[in-house]
Amino acid sequence: MSTTNEKRQEYRALFKNNVKKRLVVDKIVHIIIFAFVIIAIIPLASILVEVFKNGISAISYEFLTAIPGSIGSGEGGIGPAIQGTLIIIGLASLMGVPIGVMSGIFLAEFGDNKLARNVRFFNDVFMEFPSIVLGIFAFLVIVLILGHFSVWAGAFALALIMFPIVARTTEESLKMVPITYREAGTALGLKKWVITFRIVISAAKSGMITGILLSVSRIGGETAPLIMTILGSSQFFSSMDVPMDALPLRIWRLSLLPYESSQLQGWGAALVLILVIIGINMAVRYHFANGNGIIMRFIKQGVSTKR
Amino acid sequence: MTRLIDPSLEKLSQIMSEMGDMAIACVSLAVDSYLEGKNTNDEVYELSDSIRNKYFEVEDLIFDMLLKYQPVADDFRMIRSSTEISYAFSRFGRYAYDITQVRDLFGDISECTNASLIEITKKVKHMIKEAVLSFAELDVRKAVKIQEDEAFIDKIYKERLPKLIQSNNTKCALAEALLLRYLERIGDHAVFMSDAINYIVTGKHKPSEKRIASHTKSS
Amino acid sequence: MTTLSVPAQKITNSIDSAIPSSVPHEEEKFKMIAENVSIYYGSTMGVKNVTMKFPEKSVTALIGPSGCGKTTFLRCLNRMHDMTKNAKVEGKVMIDDIDLYDKSIDPIYHRRKVGMVFQKPNPFPTMSIYDNVTAGLKLNGVKDKRILDEIVEDTLKMAYLWDEVKNDLKKSAIELSGGQQQRLCIARALAIQPEVLLMDEPASALDPIATQKIEETITELKKDYTIIIVTHNMQQAVRVSDYTGFMYLGELIEFRETKKLFTDPKNELTAKYVQGQFG
Repeated sequence: MSTTNEKRQEYRALFKNNVKKRLVVDKIVHIIIFAFVIIAIIPLASILVEVFKNGISAISYEFLTAIPGSIGSGEGGIGPAIQGTLIIIGLASLMGVPIGVMSGIFLAEFGDNKLARNVRFFNDVFMEFPSIVLGIFAFLVIVLILGHFSVWAGAFALALIMFPIVARTTEESLKMVPITYREAGTALGLKKWVITFRIVISAAKSGMITGILLSVSRIGGETAPLIMTILGSSQFFSSMDVPMDALPLRIWRLSLLPYESSQLQGWGAALVLILVIIGINMAVRYHFANGNGIIMRFIKQGVSTKR
Repeated sequence: MTRLIDPSLEKLSQIMSEMGDMAIACVSLAVDSYLEGKNTNDEVYELSDSIRNKYFEVEDLIFDMLLKYQPVADDFRMIRSSTEISYAFSRFGRYAYDITQVRDLFGDISECTNASLIEITKKVKHMIKEAVLSFAELDVRKAVKIQEDEAFIDKIYKERLPKLIQSNNTKCALAEALLLRYLERIGDHAVFMSDAINYIVTGKHKPSEKRIASHTKSS
Repeated sequence: MTTLSVPAQKITNSIDSAIPSSVPHEEEKFKMIAENVSIYYGSTMGVKNVTMKFPEKSVTALIGPSGCGKTTFLRCLNRMHDMTKNAKVEGKVMIDDIDLYDKSIDPIYHRRKVGMVFQKPNPFPTMSIYDNVTAGLKLNGVKDKRILDEIVEDTLKMAYLWDEVKNDLKKSAIELSGGQQQRLCIARALAIQPEVLLMDEPASALDPIATQKIEETITELKKDYTIIIVTHNMQQAVRVSDYTGFMYLGELIEFRETKKLFTDPKNELTAKYVQGQFG
């Protein structure tokens, strides 16, 4: 034994002498971290408070359902914008989510080759593209070719933004499922696609949904691509081949007008947009959580395979 | 690096070695004293008693090792045979004691001729020494010699016993019969010992079937 | 006392042991035969030309120090290495005269003849107990509820789990304890009606009581199945197996009846390993 009892006593004394200092350092670090968290939260909280404060007075049944009134009159509402946002998010998801999920599955389950590595790289780059560039692209490819602004173009542009995010998060969620479940499936003589779709995906469900909701929240607030593709309008949705309104567009238009009433409506629209996004989040989580302890479900986030 | 079981194995080896030496001393003393007409009862008793105590010690040690270490292979065979061998040692001690008791029971037997016993006692002493050495060195080649000795003892035993019936001195005849019996039993255990040693080295059981058969038939 | 002099018998024995005996008993019927199996990971050879014959309705244990190739070898018996990139398997693995590695057969179909239980219990986390057991069947198209119910009860009973879960088969599988989960995995493997069961250290992640239950299960199962078990625990090998194979550095060193291998190993290396004299 290299340490004798005397030496051990020495070390113990040393340890005791340092404890007080370390506790103080510990406390200081705690306080610093806490402070930074507060600093980070303050702007977020103040935005919410500001929006709520300014927008709440604009909310009324009429506001939520009527078409915009004449400029500066203070009448009318944002009905078409709400409808438009819901439609465009829905359409974009229909286009972007399946492609994104399939890409994610390909990358995770069949992705050990050169092709997959290139796809993954391109995917990551694509994710960082400025949304205005994607909007211009959709403009060139669809609007110019067809000759008019349309909902198709808008959905396409938003889908382009969505799908890399979904692909990435799907891939990560699937990779987090331990390989041992795939092995068990193989040992049972199951085919690869059965293992992927019936076992791995259901284990990765939670993470995948988080990813999808992330992308939905992202596109819900995108404005630039919409400018180039659906343009905006004052009417409710009529057909897929004509321009349509959406909340980000409406907010932008309203806030640029010099009239106070318009600005108030702008705040109201912003509040509505935030509530729509939160609402989508909560509704989807509730549905997939099968209603077990509703409040707990909303609070619990993240990727977890345990229930 | 020493394994956990090694100190126990060494202790076992040490105790068995002591038992072996004591067994040789004990039997030699008993047998020589009988032939020479000396009284060494107390000494023999001491030795025999010590051997018996060591036998219990060995048994405890063996079961302790089984409980703790679950030995396998060489260790396992060594431990398994040690039960048989230590028992044999305890038997040697016991029979040595019995031999000294003959004089006590029968009183003065100085008139009895012990000529026939001289050969047989030489063989027995040789056998025990060989057995102990064989165990110490784990040398199974000695087994052959031990079996030869045992065969010889058996032969004498079978020849003398009927002759004793015709003897006119009952006391001497009975004394000699008892001696022959004890010596023959010692021989048997020596053979069992060598079988056990054989098991340690080769892993094969080799019960001396002929021996067992001859005894069960006669009883 | 562990140093031995070398009498004549021992010398001839060590000549015998130079050729590892992989034939326990000529008259035994063998359920599975692995012939000249070599497994490569990239350029390293993990298993070197191993031949083993597994008698039917018996338990064979594979022992050896970490990294000796026993798990690698076990996994080639049901073609698990198909899942691994860079793994190459040479040789034959025969079940009842069909070589699993024959290119002309359907690996998925024949893989079902060999079930596997893994070291860490891995019931599918999003499925109930019932669904876990039937996973190998339902996900392969078996739909008849009556048959499924029967198989669930049958296999859970064989795994000694039925009494503990029969009232709550819809419970999520991950709410069971570790030992129960492992028995569930055994039932799941049995549900596809295999003939051979491979077990990779099935009790190493479990507490002693759960381990005991698994060993009891194995002892019952061997009446109907051929079982091959990799284990680190030599006492477990002695308790449950009929035959034992000792592997070292990818080679099969000795293969004999368990009792004989542990009381009188023919190979010096085997004797050293089982007595804890190395690694």
